[in-house]
Amino acid sequence: MTGQVDDDHVLFGSGGGDLAARIQGLEAALTAARGHLDDDVLGEAEEVVQRARSRLRLSAEHTIVALAGATGSGKSSLFNRLSDLELAAVGVRRPTTSWAMACAWGPTGAEEILQWLGIPPRHQVSRMSMLDISPDETNMQGLVLLDLPDHDSTEVAHHLEVKRLVSYADLLVWVVDPQKYADAAIHDGYLAPLSTHAEVMLVVFNHLDEIPYEERESTLADLKRLLAIDGLSEIPLVATSAKTGEGIDDLKRALVQRIRAKRSAADRLTADAATATQGLVQANGLEDPGVLDERRQSALVDVLAEAAGVPVVVEAVEFSSASRRRRSTSWPAIRWLARLRKDPLADLRLGGATDEDHRSAVPSPTKVQQARVDVAVRDLADDATQGLAAPWSDAVRRASTSDFDDLHDALDKAIASTELGVNKGPGWVRILSVVQWLLFVAAVGGLGWLGTLAIMEFAGNDPAEPPAIGSVSVPLLLALVGVVLGICLGFLARLAVDVSARRTAEHADHALRQSIATVAHQRVFAPIEAEMTAYDATRQALRAALGS
Amino acid sequence: MPTPEVSADMTSALIRLRKELEDAPLGLDLPEAQEIRAERQSMVNQLDDYILPRLVQADAPLLAVVGGSTGAGKSTLVNSLVGKSVTKSGVLRPTTRSPVLVHHPKDSDWFEKERILPDLKRTTNPTNDVGALQLKAVDSVPTGIAILDAPDVDSVDAGNRALAAQLLAASDLWLFVTSAARYADDVPWTFLKLAAQRNAAVAIVLDRTTDKAIQEVRGHLARMLTARGLKDCPLFAVPESRVDAHGLLPQSSVEQLRNWLVDLAANDEVRTQIIQQTLDGAVRQVVYRAHAVADASAAQHETSERLAAEVGEVYDRAVREISGFVRDGAVLRGEVLVRWREFVGGDLARSLEQKVSRVRDRMMGALRGKPQAAEQVGLALERGLQMVIVERAETSASRAAARWSEDEAGAALVDGANGTLARASRDLRVRADRIVREWQREVLEMVRMEGSDKRVTARFLAYGVTGLGVTLMVVVFAGGASTNGGSHLEEAEDAAEAASIGERILESVFGADTMRRMADSARTDLERRCRELFEAEKSRYLTVLEGASARPDAASRLRDVARAADDVRHGAGVI
Repeated sequence: MTGQVDDDHVLFGSGGGDLAARIQGLEAALTAARGHLDDDVLGEAEEVVQRARSRLRLSAEHTIVALAGATGSGKSSLFNRLSDLELAAVGVRRPTTSWAMACAWGPTGAEEILQWLGIPPRHQVSRMSMLDISPDETNMQGLVLLDLPDHDSTEVAHHLEVKRLVSYADLLVWVVDPQKYADAAIHDGYLAPLSTHAEVMLVVFNHLDEIPYEERESTLADLKRLLAIDGLSEIPLVATSAKTGEGIDDLKRALVQRIRAKRSAADRLTADAATATQGLVQANGLEDPGVLDERRQSALVDVLAEAAGVPVVVEAVEFSSASRRRRSTSWPAIRWLARLRKDPLADLRLGGATDEDHRSAVPSPTKVQQARVDVAVRDLADDATQGLAAPWSDAVRRASTSDFDDLHDALDKAIASTELGVNKGPGWVRILSVVQWLLFVAAVGGLGWLGTLAIMEFAGNDPAEPPAIGSVSVPLLLALVGVVLGICLGFLARLAVDVSARRTAEHADHALRQSIATVAHQRVFAPIEAEMTAYDATRQALRAALGS
Repeated sequence: MPTPEVSADMTSALIRLRKELEDAPLGLDLPEAQEIRAERQSMVNQLDDYILPRLVQADAPLLAVVGGSTGAGKSTLVNSLVGKSVTKSGVLRPTTRSPVLVHHPKDSDWFEKERILPDLKRTTNPTNDVGALQLKAVDSVPTGIAILDAPDVDSVDAGNRALAAQLLAASDLWLFVTSAARYADDVPWTFLKLAAQRNAAVAIVLDRTTDKAIQEVRGHLARMLTARGLKDCPLFAVPESRVDAHGLLPQSSVEQLRNWLVDLAANDEVRTQIIQQTLDGAVRQVVYRAHAVADASAAQHETSERLAAEVGEVYDRAVREISGFVRDGAVLRGEVLVRWREFVGGDLARSLEQKVSRVRDRMMGALRGKPQAAEQVGLALERGLQMVIVERAETSASRAAARWSEDEAGAALVDGANGTLARASRDLRVRADRIVREWQREVLEMVRMEGSDKRVTARFLAYGVTGLGVTLMVVVFAGGASTNGGSHLEEAEDAAEAASIGERILESVFGADTMRRMADSARTDLERRCRELFEAEKSRYLTVLEGASARPDAASRLRDVARAADDVRHGAGVI
């Protein structure tokens, strides 16, 4: 690829760089826009790219000049005059020329060009440079001259051949005559549509001998007027008479100048690329792409979260984690009470395993919630497509709902696989649990001790006085401290558990929204962004192709 | 020669045809609609410009229109035929911009009035106006014939080309001028083929041809004419020669052609024959092409019906879906249910089935304390309903656009509407909001009216108009829930439960019959409002179809009058 570009530089001088950049831009735009823009529009540009690539590979020493025009305007006579050979058939019967005739002057390399043009060898002639004795200024070394069929006769095959070869030539010489210079066929069919190609076109007013001398100037002025209407006010105009030879040298000089400059091929391709680029720009637009607004994105995530039942789950998380933690921190003697209450999280079939295929029992979204999701997505796509051309905004809209079929399923999966943090309580819960057990053991121990003492006393065995701290005996102290502290701690823990459950719920809410946001990203934002990126790539490539 | 009666029959048949042609609806931008509209216009023009005037006045002078390519030398030829410079000739193209009609002074009555070509204004001065017809009375033109120098058929000026086509359609005889450089051009031949189709009288003039070339070109041209169905037309060659100081060709060059025209003017029989040939051909062609217009019109009608039916289906479905949504209690889930439970007293409502009376007492207390809660229910209902309507409208619009885009005609209409048809109308959200609010106001009004005699009752006062209003709304939305149960058992239960609480409240205030009547009436009212909204959405599509279905019989009527005209033509043998 780069090698090719460098070659272009060498071959086409400073113009080549620009052209190569344009063609590359056009190609990149085509790649990015494929599948989005109309195939007809792309096809045209595609042709231009291919033609440019193949022309740039061929001889840059040659300039392909095509003589085009109506039947009877004297293209063949001019061809013969320029080549100094009676090669092309000249006659009164119209249309005379059915096949394009080619004559090549000078250096080698013309054969490939003629082959590329699809001119069969029997319609080719070449002029050896060494045999050419014309003076320097009219020495047409490097010229490949084509005599095209007509574009306006009843022979439709001719029109097609002209259309084809006109797109291949480096320099177009439009031959008109006094009768036909105002025909719609040439002005509306060719000149006006090619007004962007003024640099690589010449107009020859032939059969000058048929106009009285005094009327020539006004006729040429009239032709110039018509050309200006076509948008070609700057196009060079040469008046000739193939019959008398008048003006032929002027034409030769004009041609030689172009051939020497060796710029026509690049200029032509540049003009082609510019036209194709304009066509694409028209279909594609160059507007800045819209942005996926952060606010809209989070609004959609909120709506999705609500539809997926996040608030229900969060509420359940708070309740469940509170009740589970309460169970581990309350006074062990009353823990069984907590088991009587239903675990809402278990009802939702959440809070357990977080494997891939797990499905929750969160209620499916209501119609209102579904509607809200649809509307939010539409709003998002609307924002993103502001100012975009129809094909792209359609694509973005399609993309925004492309992955919608099992969206609810995906959301549910996301919720089911989110770690809710219910099982993993904070460290102090476990410590408290141990403390509660210790206290419980102390209480039970103390009570047991007291009980044993009481039994012994009852049985008449006088037990040893239990150790005492101050005036309170140790077993009593153990029992009292175990029970009172355990119950008090249970109540205090309740407050802390409530706070921590709320914290856990907040974390779960956050985590769930993260999961939902991931789904939203995969299913909605990413498809939209892919389209926007494609659009942006096309746009940037077109900018490059425009040469700006 | 047709009898006057036949002419009169034909005239009236063609006037009817003209009217039906003009009335045929072709407004839809179907593929090729542009062409068929232009075709229709050219037929109407030809009837006005030529056929009808010629039928009425069969003895008017023969009009020979000199037409052909730019630069073929038409104006020089006309000047040379007349022997006087009557029309501008020159090397600048196109020379003739406004047509020039040359006639004998005695014939001027025929042309000064707008008998033929009524839409061209008459003038006697040279002009460049394509809407004008310049008249020149010249002695050297024989009576009974007039020569019209028409603009080019192929010049860069589109107005010129259109006028040339119109003038050729209005001629009794085409004098088609071409040249050695021109005779194989595509554009003039399309006109000649048209003339061959219409069986118009054509004479070809091969102008500006050098002596050397004349034999070969003439032979080739004659073969081309034969190959294209014009083998009987006379072919005159005018050799290329220098014009004199007045811009005229030497008399010898045009003598042959001039003599032919003079003979034609003098010979009534031949002239009438030519006129009848061209006229009959023109009538036949118009009648024939009328069927194509009828086909196009029928296709337009059929397309428009089909497209209308498609959007009809889409929006009927939307109305059905909304209606189902209103009835199946789906709206009572989520936010609405939460608010409703808050309103009627929280979770305890679950056990209401068994302990209605006790709960009712509690509820009344709750209601009195929480007027806000009723409004919350109303707002939740409003938000939900509006959201669903908006979503249905958007979905319907994209469905309708997708259906239309499936075929070419519909796709053209969708594209033409610049994206507006693929979306709901711009102010839809506002309107959805409005109908929901209006409906709610209507429901409250109904409660107020029904309660006017019960206002004094303690219960009515306890619930308040707003409370009873939202209760009625909830009952409306649960209307079908208890009966259709179905897929979402739990949801249906919720809705049924909500409804039964509501029903009990309303029953206790209004009585069962009144309650049912109010619920039905409120539901019907909501459905009507939604239907109206969707009708308005649908009408956006129907306006694009623009009355193409307005005259369903247009095509058949057009065919009938065309057939009638054809019958008259055949009945007359050859008119």
